[in-house]
Amino acid sequence: MSDQTLPATNIATIVEKRASLWTTRRVIGAISLLLIAAVFAFPIVWSALSSLKTTDDVVKFRYPLTVWTFLPPFPTLDNYAALFFQLNFGRTLLNTIIASSGQVLIAVITSTLAGYAFARLRFPLRDTIFIILLLTSFVPLEVILVPLYEVVRGMGLVSTYPALFLPFACSPFGIFLMRQAFQSIPVELDDAARVDGASTLKIFWRIALPNVKPALATLVLIQFIWSWNAYLWPLVIIQDPNMQIAQVAISGFKSVPNFPLDGPLFAGVTVVTIPLVAIAIILQRYYVRGLMSSGIR
Amino acid sequence: MKFPGFSVNPTRRGELAIGPLMVIPAAAGLGIFWIWPLIVAIMNSFRSFNPFTHRATGWAGFENYQQIFADPAFQSAFWVSLVYMVLMIVVIIPMALGLALLLDKRMPGTAFARGAILAALASSEAVAALMWNQLYQPSSGLFDAIFRAMGMPTQPFLTDGNLAIVSIVIMIAWKDVGLPMLIFLGGLQAIPPHLFEAASMDGANAWRKFWRITLPLLRPSLILALFMTTIAAARLFTPIQILTSGGPNGQTSNLAYFSYAQAFLFNSPGQAAASVVVMLLMLVVITIIQGVTLRSKAGAS
Repeated sequence: MSDQTLPATNIATIVEKRASLWTTRRVIGAISLLLIAAVFAFPIVWSALSSLKTTDDVVKFRYPLTVWTFLPPFPTLDNYAALFFQLNFGRTLLNTIIASSGQVLIAVITSTLAGYAFARLRFPLRDTIFIILLLTSFVPLEVILVPLYEVVRGMGLVSTYPALFLPFACSPFGIFLMRQAFQSIPVELDDAARVDGASTLKIFWRIALPNVKPALATLVLIQFIWSWNAYLWPLVIIQDPNMQIAQVAISGFKSVPNFPLDGPLFAGVTVVTIPLVAIAIILQRYYVRGLMSSGIR
Repeated sequence: MKFPGFSVNPTRRGELAIGPLMVIPAAAGLGIFWIWPLIVAIMNSFRSFNPFTHRATGWAGFENYQQIFADPAFQSAFWVSLVYMVLMIVVIIPMALGLALLLDKRMPGTAFARGAILAALASSEAVAALMWNQLYQPSSGLFDAIFRAMGMPTQPFLTDGNLAIVSIVIMIAWKDVGLPMLIFLGGLQAIPPHLFEAASMDGANAWRKFWRITLPLLRPSLILALFMTTIAAARLFTPIQILTSGGPNGQTSNLAYFSYAQAFLFNSPGQAAASVVVMLLMLVVITIIQGVTLRSKAGAS
């Protein structure tokens, strides 16, 4: 034993060197990560801070660069007051919420039903139909915009809530996600229930659904976030300003001639973004899982 | 009922009816709102239209295609679409890979960086474009203030065609880099750590390990990330509409924007349909080329 030991000092320097190398690396890594966090968070944080400035202060304190370029020198909620009391923002925000809720609700119903059938039931052409439905997720909205407009107009739905959410309520992503979730439930559970005389619908409701709660949470979250991405479709199909969604309504604030609305614009951006971003970060486990399975398809 | 290759257990015959019934709501929705409009879009590209009523007046053969290919605005949009695609791939994919490598190390600060990137990814596209519009504004924007503070002249971020394309790509990279990054993170976590340990024992440095182990094993993730970024680039619309409205002089207009303008601003549904079919074909051809080249390289190595 004793003849194999290295000189103690030698070991100490090696360990120390490793440790110090390791820590400098960690420090550099941590600093670059914080820089990345700052860069990515900056536009959102800056918009939120700017929403507390009046439109005049936004312009006045912009240049030369001081701390007040970024922080509000005289914090005020005037922009929020203007947004809700003068610019009819409450109504458009409500429209956004209704459109999103409708989209999420119908997507959950149609996706679970179809996902279960594709995962568990046997009927002719099952896999062909599944693949055709899945392929629709590669069709960009821009490609079908005009015919889709004609279809929805033909149904008499221009400027209505269903027009906002119906076209996106059936989600190939949702069907795929739920099919996978149902497939991962052991078949033995179904069989046991079947032996006890349970009907297919009862098995779906009592056994399958309670076992896919995480996938349902993922589906709700992803559909909700995607529904807030809407812009082009509402822009085209909603012609009544009272039915327009908040995202399109705020974008109108940027181009009012001779009447800058920078302050209310920042406030609107903040109201629309902060809840969504907070939900995505808090529930990031479900969000990331959903995005990953959306990519794997 | 009998279907070839399809045997039904008598006790489960009920599924023959229930299965299709459960699929019908989703299939009807996707059929009415996606598959049918896609078929109509392709048919409309071969039709002629009354410019005032927008009603189809008959078949036009390839006339719409001939007209758009002769239109300089369409030619520009075609090339600009390819420029967006190349720039977005060149900017977003290496950035996503770099971020994934950094976040994979699980150092202090990882949670912040990941949270901020997910925040950008989750934010609405229109709202993200509006925030960046405020940053880019020539006279009141923050970037202008920063440039002037550094003694540089006012930059035409959104008013010079070439610079505006770059500005749009930077904005979209900020917003969308998260998705390919998550794909790469998933791929990195699937690489067995013993491969790196073995390479370290053989004296391979970090650079060599990256080229010899990480990159080859990330190939499936790379194909997927490339595919998603290409689709996102092809359908780029909202940032263009909000930041430049396709201007100046249509220099930032891509096929998605061109077709929107043809349909809703210039009232020519036939040409709008032809240009979206060209856009769809471009997307299909490029993804096939990507798939074939990357797969064949995988076979060679």
